[in-house]
Amino acid sequence: MSKLFSADNVSVRFGGLQALDKLSLDIDEGTIIGLIGPNGSGKTTFFNAVTGLCRTAGGQILVDGEDIAGLHPRHVYQRGVSRTFQRSRLCLSLSVFDNVVIGRQNALDLTLFGNLFRRGRFIESVRENHDRVRALLSTFSEPLAARTFDPLHTLSMIDRRRIEVCRALIANPRLLLLDEPSAGMTPDETHEFMSDILKVRGDHPRMSIIIIEHEMDVIQRVADRCVVLNFGKKVAEGTFDAVVADPWVQEAYLGSS
Amino acid sequence: MAILLEYLFNGALLGVIYALVAVGFTLFFGVLDVIKFSHGDVLTLGAYSGLAAFVSLELLGLDLPVVSLIFVLVVAMLVTGLAGIAIGQFFVVPMRGSPAFNILLMTLMIGTAIHECIRLFVPGGANPKAFPTLLPRTPIEIGGAYIRLDSLLLLVLGIGVIVVTNWMVRHTKLGLAIRAVAQDGDTAQIMGIPFRRVVLATFALGSMLAGVAGVMNGLYYSEINFNVGVLLGVIGFSSAVVGGLGSIWGAIIGGFSFAALQTVWVLFFPEMSGYRDVFAFTTIIVLMTIWPTGIIAERYSERV
Amino acid sequence: MASENQWVIASALVASLFLSFGIARTKAGRDFAAILQNSGSWIVLLIPVAGLAIGLALHEEHFALMMLATVLIYALACIGLTIQFGYAGVINFAGIAFFGIGGYTAAVLGGMGLPSLLVLLAGGLVSAAIGCILILPVLRTKGHYAALITIAFVLLFRSFLEVNHTLGGPQGLRVESATIAGQSLFTGIRIGSFEASFYLNYVLLALVLLAIFFLMARFLEKSWIGINLDSMREDPVGAAVFGVNVAYWRIMSFVIGNVLIGIAGATFAMMQTFIAPSNFTFQQSLLMLAIVVLGGIGNLWAVIPAAILVVVVPEKLQAISEYRFLVFAILVVLVLRFRPNGLFPRSMRNFRKEVGQ
Repeated sequence: MSKLFSADNVSVRFGGLQALDKLSLDIDEGTIIGLIGPNGSGKTTFFNAVTGLCRTAGGQILVDGEDIAGLHPRHVYQRGVSRTFQRSRLCLSLSVFDNVVIGRQNALDLTLFGNLFRRGRFIESVRENHDRVRALLSTFSEPLAARTFDPLHTLSMIDRRRIEVCRALIANPRLLLLDEPSAGMTPDETHEFMSDILKVRGDHPRMSIIIIEHEMDVIQRVADRCVVLNFGKKVAEGTFDAVVADPWVQEAYLGSS
Repeated sequence: MAILLEYLFNGALLGVIYALVAVGFTLFFGVLDVIKFSHGDVLTLGAYSGLAAFVSLELLGLDLPVVSLIFVLVVAMLVTGLAGIAIGQFFVVPMRGSPAFNILLMTLMIGTAIHECIRLFVPGGANPKAFPTLLPRTPIEIGGAYIRLDSLLLLVLGIGVIVVTNWMVRHTKLGLAIRAVAQDGDTAQIMGIPFRRVVLATFALGSMLAGVAGVMNGLYYSEINFNVGVLLGVIGFSSAVVGGLGSIWGAIIGGFSFAALQTVWVLFFPEMSGYRDVFAFTTIIVLMTIWPTGIIAERYSERV
Repeated sequence: MASENQWVIASALVASLFLSFGIARTKAGRDFAAILQNSGSWIVLLIPVAGLAIGLALHEEHFALMMLATVLIYALACIGLTIQFGYAGVINFAGIAFFGIGGYTAAVLGGMGLPSLLVLLAGGLVSAAIGCILILPVLRTKGHYAALITIAFVLLFRSFLEVNHTLGGPQGLRVESATIAGQSLFTGIRIGSFEASFYLNYVLLALVLLAIFFLMARFLEKSWIGINLDSMREDPVGAAVFGVNVAYWRIMSFVIGNVLIGIAGATFAMMQTFIAPSNFTFQQSLLMLAIVVLGGIGNLWAVIPAAILVVVVPEKLQAISEYRFLVFAILVVLVLRFRPNGLFPRSMRNFRKEVGQ
């Protein structure tokens, strides 16, 4: 297996607060890493730093050997890094199809001429993209795949999460960042959603995933390896069992429970 | 040299008026993250209610300059304060959470409604109206320059009002509540600060400043018209933005900067004084391109 | 026209407008809106057909035809505004300034004897080019700040015109009327016993322009670009994370919108044969925005009834013409407060027909 992604001594500072302190993290192709740690430990900040939403104060973020630190979010996306958000950032007034297809930027004809004057070709590409979106949605849920032109705000929480994941997946990313996908879901929904994640992994054997999660059984079920953060620092790393046994982790995160 | 001093002085007076308006914008933005664009027209309303107060005193046959001035100011502040509360209560607070553009456009339209009402329903409202002279106009000589006593008093009054406002925000219980809401409205609410009341009090406070500015503007130019608020509102908003929205000092600096821009232009190109607003606004646009979040906000972003 | 007559026409107008707003909320109204939204491009022909029918019916009435042309021209400008902030979310309070730039371009170039259609195009391009000066500050800043820049620009534009003597100062400039294919639009059409006001020519010109750009805007909305614009309006950060080039689309929409507004302004100036700074006040800019907001932000069809409401009603109903700013200000405030999607809310884009669903 080859190393797809590595963060090397990444730091992020907000004013006087050191949100990420020289964090290093590697992922091999096709593996899933669980990123855990208490609130405010810098997990989402790490995602934001990788996707170009916040500036790094040092360190390198390498995708396939290329440093993407400081790139515009758009360029990070073009390098095959895609993500979901903890608080869903879907467009509620648009349809399911619109929300998902937006992720295929590089494959869409975005010229003014093509969109305004070659309507026949445009409609053909709508059909083609619609088939893709449907196919992707149906790996998650058949009923959802039949609702491509429903407004997004009519969908349930779990379906919205699925849409977010589909939007992140539609361009076949190499690295997928999932930011607390189970937030706001019932235990049953969480369970169902994790099965979806494992299915995604089966369909995209070469894709790597980093997942932020508070539900320990979720991490146990899906992650190959865990990284624990506290106050922006990596405090433990290893298999789930090894990490849970770590006294540092016991103290910093899991407490006495 | 003497002429320079006169320019400097008039610029300072304009700056104080602009700063008064800008502080209002900054206060509203601080507590609610909205731009209440009716502010300029609330100023006009203040000027006209001050005028109405003076006219009614005259009808009663009272002619005591100092008392008139105080009465005019009090009435103007009362009316603008109430207008501020009403706009906040019925339009701005319920719109919390709407897109910023909607609130901006709505308050612009409220402002339009206010000055259209003045134009249509005040007798002779469409024409400029003479504003009474309530302060002695004795010229005073300072270093060869002649400065009108009333202008000097206005300058002192404006600076005094700003100082008092700043003191209120910094040292009173209301000021503490305003700053708490400005920091984080939701948390302040949880901590037991009556959010709506604080917001409305802020709206009242900011609007009263506009009332003072309106009367000052009338006294300075000896004339008011229904349209004066539109330009003053935009100038005040520009000043607040250039200074850094949310910071009182930013607003004050912004107000004086805008007046300085106008004054500098007139000083250097007296024969092209018509372009002074073109110059000032162009500079503002350029400044905002360079510092998109204002001069102050980035460095020490102390909100309100 | 007798004043009673005026009242009849005015009340009929108002009644039909309110009726249509009412109908818009019923099932039949929604079906009609769905037809307008989902039918093929042929539906856009409704505009020239209906416009032509009304134009021919009124062919001798100068004033009525001028009103009709004005409505169409304003509708064209408001389609530009709709692209800018209905789709892309770029706030433009300087609509009337770009309209004016188009007009002044027509005044200056028309006097040089350039072909009129070229002058119209130039009006659009100059207005877009001057708009480009504002792009950098508008891009660098967000929300309130961008709004301030366009507000400052519209005030600046007006003061500039007032003091600039090359452009006629406060007195304004005369504008050459348009000449298309050797036919001056300043002389009315005469065919046999049919004699029309010259305003009919401008109605026809405006109809053609409106129909073309309406169709283009419709295509734009229902395209990959339209999806990009909507998603970056709703969430610029989220869109950027998924590869949308937010800055590029902001610029594009601002430029395209200003081209339409500029062309509309040039047409208007040629029809009026005269322009002055007093036509281009901040208030007028707000009225243009009022058309877009009252109709329903982002709904192209709604622009037309809203333009009728804002342009025609105050002219016809002279009792309120003095109060027009007040009335529309209050109307916009009420709509924004209680019905922020406008009287005819925009319906969601879908491709059901295209994919055969």
